[in-house]
This record gives sequence, structure tokens and C-alpha cells, in this order.
Amino acid sequence: MNLAVSHPFVLLLLPLAVLPLLATAQDTEDYPSLHAAKSDPLSVAIDLALRLMGAIAIAALVLGLAGLHRLGQSIERLGEGANIVLLFDRSASMNDTFAGQAPTQSGEESKSAAARRFLKQFVTSREHDRFGIAAFSTSPMYVMPLSDHKEATLGAIDAIEQPGLALTNVGKGLAMALSMHDADILSTQGTDGGIASRAIVLVSDGAAVINRKVQQKLEAAFLKRPVNLYWIFLRTENSRGIFDKPGPDDTDTPFAMPERHLHLFFENLKIPYTAFEVENPAAVGEAVAAIDKLERRPMRYEERIPQKDLSGVAYAVAGLSLLLLVIAKLAEVKVSRLASRGVWGSVLPCF
Amino acid sequence: MIRPAFHELRFWLLATALLLVVAGLVLPRVKLTRDAYDTMAFVDITSSMNTRDVSLDGQPASRLDLTKDRLKRFVAGLPCQSKFGLGLFTARRVFVLFEPVEVCENFSSIDAAISGLDWRMAWEGDSFITGGVHNAIPVAEGLDSDLLFFTDGHEAPPLPWTGMPDFEGEPGKVPGLLVGVGGNALVPLKKYDDAGREIGDLGADDVLQENRSGQPPPDASSRPGWHPKWAPFGDMRINNNEHMTSLKEDHLKALASQTGLVYVRLNGAGALLRAFEAVARPRSVVVATDIRPYPAALALLLLVILYGFLPLRERVAGRSAPSRTELKGAHP
Repeated sequence: MNLAVSHPFVLLLLPLAVLPLLATAQDTEDYPSLHAAKSDPLSVAIDLALRLMGAIAIAALVLGLAGLHRLGQSIERLGEGANIVLLFDRSASMNDTFAGQAPTQSGEESKSAAARRFLKQFVTSREHDRFGIAAFSTSPMYVMPLSDHKEATLGAIDAIEQPGLALTNVGKGLAMALSMHDADILSTQGTDGGIASRAIVLVSDGAAVINRKVQQKLEAAFLKRPVNLYWIFLRTENSRGIFDKPGPDDTDTPFAMPERHLHLFFENLKIPYTAFEVENPAAVGEAVAAIDKLERRPMRYEERIPQKDLSGVAYAVAGLSLLLLVIAKLAEVKVSRLASRGVWGSVLPCF
Repeated sequence: MIRPAFHELRFWLLATALLLVVAGLVLPRVKLTRDAYDTMAFVDITSSMNTRDVSLDGQPASRLDLTKDRLKRFVAGLPCQSKFGLGLFTARRVFVLFEPVEVCENFSSIDAAISGLDWRMAWEGDSFITGGVHNAIPVAEGLDSDLLFFTDGHEAPPLPWTGMPDFEGEPGKVPGLLVGVGGNALVPLKKYDDAGREIGDLGADDVLQENRSGQPPPDASSRPGWHPKWAPFGDMRINNNEHMTSLKEDHLKALASQTGLVYVRLNGAGALLRAFEAVARPRSVVVATDIRPYPAALALLLLVILYGFLPLRERVAGRSAPSRTELKGAHP
């Protein structure tokens, strides 16, 4: 049990608990000589118990006031899930519909809106997964590290519907996503045990040529650790797809057909890779459901036990001690004549 | 029969203390309303923000580093249930990294996201700050948030002679702060190579010293080498010190008054939070408040009187009176 207090300075009052050991709440009476009474172990014990009760009451009140609580803990459990970095293309074309037009009020939703809707469902339904978010357009952007903060992840997914930027620099984006996994592997060392599956879900509506240098760096980076790669390609009408074979008149080069060549590059990476080419909002949902099925490997996850307030318990203990003291007080009887002085009679001499 | 205890102050002290503690345990939790804030912060990540002309913890630091540090503390200072979102500014518009999320539950994620801000995220080299602020206001409005905009006010390319573009929105509709970051003295801008490594300072010829888009200024015809068609701005080399940078407070104050924001200079995080709370629209949130400490504190006070104050009085009184002997034991 990890106990803690919210206001440590209140504990400075704790020495007050000594007071009842020095003085008693029981009525004291003048008596000619104590030698007249025999030493009585029971009386001594009761006296001590009552003084202790007082001490406990004061100590419990101080602890309650200081905000005694049990610290939040996390327990390691085994479940199904994965560490997933969502990598978003934030190019301006993502804000268009699958037909390549600006979304209208009543009409079709934009690609980013469809992606946002299904990915939010995905994140919400995956109980134990940890998510990180990265984005790219002209340059890679670090949005959020891998964490189990669902709300933060959802906030970052919401942002993909905000207007995007100009270009699609897939290579640097992937490098960013990989480096986020690296950072996470380092920071969760020991807890993760390397059994959890790690995945990158790339959501884009276009592809670009990754230059030779960056390609080599990516190949090396993917070789270093097992990362499953999923590419949800949001294909705009009349644009090239990732599975298109070059026609007799087409030149089969990365510059002419960047989507196809990026797909080939991913396939040659020798990592588990699945591509989804989707052409309408419903298909985004199917792709996300497929990933949901594939990413089910055992993983250790932390279940958080929230901090528990124990000040109530402290107050209850204080109340119980006080109750016993009050009962003891009620059991008092007067042995001297002073009792006949009337109300406050026995107290007045003190003032 | 009246119990003797009823005649005694001590009994009543004990009984009242017991009653207070029990009352505290039985009373329901009181719901109080508290202010929370919804914030959308945009950080200028153009290269002028890399200028190391401010200090952080006594060490020279870049404007961006200072901004990140203060912004983290700002978020830490926001009351729970406030929301915070983060975005970037470069070129002529802002870019939202994540929409406002609750600050207490997601603090570590927000903190890491702020740490992750980097000038390399910039997508273009230009820095049309006026345009960026004009763009940030409707974005914040769409997210029902108040605005924080951190910048050094260094426009690149410089504003045309006609001054700032007009603000098309309604000034003051979105309250917020325009936060100025940087030093007063002009210092050179840093130069970077293709891989983003710093390689010295920019020279006067490395940047546009004058905005030459649009109409030439009316006095252009008096400039040396002026030609209405071939050199409408004159052909002299000019040096407006645009390769040097400092916090452009006058420009930011003008921009703030144009858009209805409030300009503040970045100092401590606490000052920033207070300035923000002064202008922001608070949202009332209901929080369950623990009122048990009040009766408990009162009970504690009574016990201290009972066990500390009364015996002390008694002892002081007893010194003058004939010696009193305590009869041990509660009851014979």
C-alpha cells in the first residue's frame, strides 16, 4: 500500500496527539489521599486505553485533514492489443471528397472526415492499445507520443479534418513514426517485454517519390525492429491506384507512378505489410476492421487503479474513538460532594 | 437521574467533537462551480524563433525553447477540466496538431507534444505573422477556444510599405493573448544548410530587405536608379536590417489592437496564466468539493482545547490552589 497525503504541512499538527497522553479528558477529583485506594491494574488499563483513544482521535483527524490517500497504482495485465502509430497525410487534398471535390454541406464527406470517423471508432474500440500520432506534409510533424491516453489520441485524430498543407512527404513521415516507436521501446523497456506487436498505420491519399537515400535509411530502420505496416490509401476518383499495372504506353518509373512504386517499396521491405485501397467512406471502415482483426497479439498492458481517498476512513476512526470517549464520559460517577454543586459545578473551580 | 458528565464542559467538548466528525461523514459532497478555460495555442516555429536572445534558467536559450518551457508550465497551471489544443504557425497560416483535450488527464501527452515542437516541422520559410494571426483566429473560433499565439513578430518578407493587411474578422470576437518572445537588441538570424544544421549567420544579402510585391511606395521615384517600368523600387541596395532580429513589440501591439487580442511579453508562466485568465472566457464546471475538513478541523480544535488548553488552565490555577491529586482510573 502506497500511502500519501495531499497536504504534508498539516502533518506538523501530528504531535498534538501526545496531548491526551499527558492530560485526561476524564474528570479529576480532589481526594484526600491516593493511599486510600488500592493500586488497580484494571483502572490503570482503562485510563491508558482512554488516553490512547484521545491520541488516536487527534491523530486520525490530523491525517484526515492532511488528505490521506492511497496512491494510484498500475497493475500489469495480459491482454490483446498493439502499440500503434497513426501516421496521417495532412496534405490539402485530404480535405476533398473521394470524387476530388470540396465537400458540400449535404453531400459526401471528405476523405479526412471519413478517416477521422472510422479511426476514432477504431481507437475507442481498442481497449488496451497504446496510440501515438504523427503527421506529415512537406515535413514530418511529431504530434503525440505513444500513450494510453485515449482522449488525447482522439483530439489529435479530430485535428486531421482541419485544413492541410501542400505536399506529401511520405518518407520523412515514416521515419518520424519509426523514431516514435524507437523512443517508446526505450521508455517502456522492461515493462513491454518485446511481445507486444508494433504497427504503423499510414493514412494517405497520395504518394510521393522517396529519394534513394531516404529509402535506404528506411530499409535499415525497418530491419532493426519488427513493425507491421498498414497503408490505407484513400484513392481519389480518376487517380492512380497502388495496385495499377502500367499500361503499354505508361512509363513504369517512380516519378510517373509514385503510388505503385511506393507500394512496391513497402512490399520489398520484408516486413508484414498490408495495403488497403479504398474508394469510398464505407471501405475505410472495412480497412480499419481488417486491421483490427490483424492486430491482435498478446501484450502486457497497465491497468490503472485510481488513487483512493482514505480521509473518510481516518474520520471514521476518529469518530469511533470519540464515541468510546463519550461513552466513558457518560459512565463517570462522582465520588465527592462537589457533584452536588450543580451544572458546571465540577468545572468552575478550574476557571 | 442526571449523569454527572452532563455538568461538565469536557463532556460537551467531546460530544460536540463527535457530532462534528459524524456530521462530516454523513454530509453529502457539496458541488461547487469553478472556472475552466478552453485554449488553443499556436507557436511560431519559423527560423527567427531559433534566435538565442532570451534566457531560460539563467542560460541563454532560443525563443522557441523559452516558449516551450513557459507553455508547459502554463498548461500545468490550468485548472482541471480546462482544455488545451496545440498548433503551429509558419508561412501564412496555422496548422492544428491536436484539438483541445482535457489538461489533467492528458497532461503527459500534451507535455510531450509541446516538447516535440521543432522548427524543422515548418513547411515553408516565410513568416507572414499578420496573416498567421488572422488565420488562427477563425480556427480557434471553430474550436470554441480562446487563443494563445506565441511569436517574435519578425515578418519575413517584411511588410509592404502599406502596412498590415486588413483583418476580415470581427475584432475581439475571439479573446486571447498575442505573446511576444525575444530580446530587445537586434541579433543576426541563423543560417542553416539543407540538412538543417546551423552554419553561421545570415548576411544582409541573404534575405529580402524590402517587400517588393505590390505597388512601389510613393517616394520611390526619388530613389537612385528609379525607372517606372524596369526599376519601380529603385535599383539601390538597401539594408533595412531584415537579416537581424529582435522582438517587434510595436508591430505586435498594432496587430493585437487590430484583431482585438491582448499583447503581452513572455516572462514567467504565472504571469502568462494570469494575463490569460484576465482576457479568456471562463467556462463554469461543476466540481465535487470535499467539505469534510471544515467540521473535522473544528473537532480537532475542540480536542486540543480539551486535552491541551483545559489542563494547562487547570495547572496554572492549581499552582496557587492547594495541591490537587489526580485520581487515577475512570471510575472506582
